[in-house]
Amino acid sequence: MNGDARLENIAKRLGNEAAARLDVEATARKVVARLREQPVRRVTWVQANWLRIAAALVIVVGGAVVASRLPPGRRLGVNTHVAHFVADDLNDLSADDLRDVLATFDQIISSDSVAVPEGSTDLHELDAQQLRAVLRSLEG
Amino acid sequence: MAHPHMVPAVPSPDAALIRAWQGGDEQAAAELVGRHARPLARFLAGAGAPEADVDDLVQETFIRAFRSVDRFRGQCQFRTWLLTIGGNVLKDFGRRAARRKVLPLDDGVRDWAGDPHEHAEASEAEALLVQGLQQLPRLQREVFLLRAQQGLEYEEIATALATTPGAARVHYHHAVRRLKEIVK
Repeated sequence: MNGDARLENIAKRLGNEAAARLDVEATARKVVARLREQPVRRVTWVQANWLRIAAALVIVVGGAVVASRLPPGRRLGVNTHVAHFVADDLNDLSADDLRDVLATFDQIISSDSVAVPEGSTDLHELDAQQLRAVLRSLEG
Repeated sequence: MAHPHMVPAVPSPDAALIRAWQGGDEQAAAELVGRHARPLARFLAGAGAPEADVDDLVQETFIRAFRSVDRFRGQCQFRTWLLTIGGNVLKDFGRRAARRKVLPLDDGVRDWAGDPHEHAEASEAEALLVQGLQQLPRLQREVFLLRAQQGLEYEEIATALATTPGAARVHYHHAVRRLKEIVK
């Protein structure tokens, strides 16, 4: 018998005694009893993941609610967005055009046609109707 | 007339038992233990599990398998999958034993199988082989046992151990070469 075959022959017998001593029925009973005593971990895993998902939702929804309640001036994202469009439009204007816009704007602000809240020069403090009036004036 | 080489698409008894267990049938779990406990015990003992602990390790392997059976997609035989779980259980056991005994173990299960003389009923050659297997890297040891002891094909071994059949073949030949030196 060559070495490989001899080795495989020994390997086939390996652990036979341990296997023969095993009380399979008793082992099966113990396994079933342990499975019954300790419910499948999958339930815990599923619960943990649902908790994570719920926590993520709370953060997202809560964040959105908080953002919606912030004063307009602090909504950085919205401001940036609007500023971006305004900047694009202003880029198309010449220096003279820009001076005209500023002059017109000063005129509007100082006129009585638009009710500007007292003590304020901030456009954010105008309501929708007031803003529409400002825009209509700018259109000429 | 059916083609002589065609295998009828009958689900294996294991697959039916696994589905039954997933549906809460404890008897199905007990039957799966009955079908695979002895080959698993042979594998664990061959891989170096102390005989006194084989029963506990077999139980632990089945518990882990039943709890993660949703991950078994029939990529290999249930028994092969079970044996790989047994390998992990044995590795964890070796780590715990190493922490308790503070032994300088390199690969988790080395040496704790005990002196070959403890395997009183095993032949000298078997004892030497067990000792030799402890000196192999884990992958070589498991490939050798799955091939030589359990009689599995390289394709099956490769699937179970997430390697290629070619790599499994190389591991086997390395293992045989080293074990022959020890057992001769």
